[in-house]
Amino acid sequence: MKIPLKYNLRSLLVRWVGTLMTALGIGLTVAIFIVMNALVNGLDSTFVQTGHENNLIVIRQGSQNESNSYFDRNLYDTVRLLDGIARDSSGEPLASGEITVIINHPRLTGESSNVLIRGVTEMGFKLRPEVRLTAGRMFRGGVRELLVSESLSRRFQNMQIGKSIHIARSDWHVVGLFEAEGTAYDSEVFAGYEDVAQEWDRPIYSSILIKAVDAQAAGRLKKRIEDDQRIHLQGLDQKEYFRAQTISSVGIKALGFFIAVVMGIGSCFAAMNMMYSAVLGRIKEVGTLRALGFKKRSILSSFLIESVILALFGGVLGCLMALPLHGLSTGTANFMSFSEVLFHFRITPAILLKGLAFAAVVGVLGGILPARRAAKIKLVEVLRD
Amino acid sequence: MKEEDQTAMKFLPFLLRNVFRNRRRTLLTVTSIAISLFLVATLLTVLSELNEPPSTPDGALRLITRHKVSLANILPIAHKDKIATIPGVKAVVASMWFGGVYKDPSNFFANFAVTTDHVFELYGDDLRMSDAEKQAFLKDRTGCVAGRKLAKRFNWKLGEKIFLKGTVFQMNPELTLRGIYEGPDEGSLFFHWEYLNEGLNNANICVMFFIKADKAEDVPRIAERVDALFQNSTAPTKTETEKAFVLGFISMMGNIQLLITSICSGVIFAIVLVAANTMAMSIRERTREIGILKALGFRRAHVLFLLLSEAIVITLSGSLIGSWGARLLYSNMDLSTMTQGFLQRFYVTPQTLTLCALIGLAVGVVSAGIPAWQASRRSVVDALRRVV
Repeated sequence: MKIPLKYNLRSLLVRWVGTLMTALGIGLTVAIFIVMNALVNGLDSTFVQTGHENNLIVIRQGSQNESNSYFDRNLYDTVRLLDGIARDSSGEPLASGEITVIINHPRLTGESSNVLIRGVTEMGFKLRPEVRLTAGRMFRGGVRELLVSESLSRRFQNMQIGKSIHIARSDWHVVGLFEAEGTAYDSEVFAGYEDVAQEWDRPIYSSILIKAVDAQAAGRLKKRIEDDQRIHLQGLDQKEYFRAQTISSVGIKALGFFIAVVMGIGSCFAAMNMMYSAVLGRIKEVGTLRALGFKKRSILSSFLIESVILALFGGVLGCLMALPLHGLSTGTANFMSFSEVLFHFRITPAILLKGLAFAAVVGVLGGILPARRAAKIKLVEVLRD
Repeated sequence: MKEEDQTAMKFLPFLLRNVFRNRRRTLLTVTSIAISLFLVATLLTVLSELNEPPSTPDGALRLITRHKVSLANILPIAHKDKIATIPGVKAVVASMWFGGVYKDPSNFFANFAVTTDHVFELYGDDLRMSDAEKQAFLKDRTGCVAGRKLAKRFNWKLGEKIFLKGTVFQMNPELTLRGIYEGPDEGSLFFHWEYLNEGLNNANICVMFFIKADKAEDVPRIAERVDALFQNSTAPTKTETEKAFVLGFISMMGNIQLLITSICSGVIFAIVLVAANTMAMSIRERTREIGILKALGFRRAHVLFLLLSEAIVITLSGSLIGSWGARLLYSNMDLSTMTQGFLQRFYVTPQTLTLCALIGLAVGVVSAGIPAWQASRRSVVDALRRVV
């Protein structure tokens, strides 16, 4: 026979101060667990969301990223005219030769970080339909103009429309802002290819982004580019290329895991403390339950359930504490591109469920010993009291 | 004062009895606090490691010059001789992050090409090895030196052939290990810039200049002079102390300070709750006893003092176990190798230990404050009548 759940709920309510304090303690642990998960999730999904099927990023063989890739400009035509590249309405192959450079620039808070500037032509935007102008206008070539992402303009000095930044030898004017649907391009600045190549004195391409007509053509193109001994280039699947950069979150993951484990253990002890005092304060009640004919097993599971309810209540509090952070934007270093990547805390239902599961585990681990103690209470022991 | 000390001592056995009255509860509370403070000590150590990069007497004299735009821009090697003419400059070394891969990208370690004429002068005690090894490295154009920990990681011996595959540059140097150095950073590899330069068809470029000043007071002046020297050249520079350079690198990782301090505050708040719960439970159970104490003539302040000290004994011992446990654990662990050089020494500093002890003290006072205050104010009659 099972002991009704109402018994546990009422018991928790009677000692509401203790219940609330223990639950809040567990809640804080769960909140930290959720926040760390939301950080990792936000950072990872920024990369995972970037790129399109059948797109290839062509970079120099041996380099792992655009930031350390460079090759001769005349290779652009070799790549662009390969078979299997999709064409736009006017019949031009969808291939965008680009240069990426990095500037060290102060954030609004004062300290500096690296920002990636991508020199592109019109083709760069045709291959990135997710990039939408939200304010101002498109840059013009030859006059050193910049298109800054909304996220960057909220985080860095002089990156707002109408302001200008002194880079190397000239002043560059911010003429427009864009938004790129939460992809990695939201951490970039766009400018005219020729302008960037001139300013940096680098008549080279860092990468060529191409769109294959279909998956088969993409595979063929990849092989064709890699096999060509003369050009020393390689084609990487655009989605995979960005997915590989989720390695940026490895530090936060390790830190988050460590914190979750240590705090989880601490919370187990706190829950155990509370449950022991609940059990020992109710010896008479348990005796009465036994006298009424409830089995040892029913008492064990009843107290275990009570502990889990307590922990889950904490878990819900934790979710509520963490939720306001959803959408908060922040940035960290992407050591593969050697520049700053901006992202949002992303709390998903899956993460909240993980937080509740985490709380439930704390409840079970913290409740098991006290529940066993309760099940061991003998009728004689109570009656003699 | 003396009298008070005696009073405190007199109550010690009574205090300890009360602490151990419910052993299981005390043990669980102490464990919970110890685990939490272990975490706080760890996080504070991460923070101090990042905010206070390891500094050495030689490091304090070093400056780093890079291109004004960013580290990804190159500088002409010709800058080196010009910098050397600035008064107060003792040594200049051109350096290039090579970013070579050893066998597999997962074997990541820092490898630099450096000019070797002043390299040992520049690093001084931070690059310790025998004179024989130094000479062997200087003589062999394809030679290299590696840190002790790095050599241990791959089980390299002197004379080992080390083949690197270039990522930033299209060059694959074939190196011979000529020396194994000791110093604060033992996870990097250095080889001859001249060798790299040949591979790059004498491009005569580098990314950074390391400068060593004669005296510490010269450091700011040298930084200004270097940047003024190249202000109007095609490659303007930015010069800062080695420490500022490292801190700038770390600030790129984002607001770790805020993340860690918020987590620490969360953890501390959680242990306040745990401790407060324990104290509330134990004081509630003793209401009648406290009534008796007061009936015997104990004053309100006495009762408050006793209950607060009891809480402090519990929270302080928890915090001491946690923070000293962290210190003991980390001093016996090689975190530098485990994190591939990201965490260099990971040492729980005396300041961190002090801070943790203070946190323990404060948590005790805060957590026991309200229940102890209430208990001490309760009238004798009320307390004795109360049925628990």
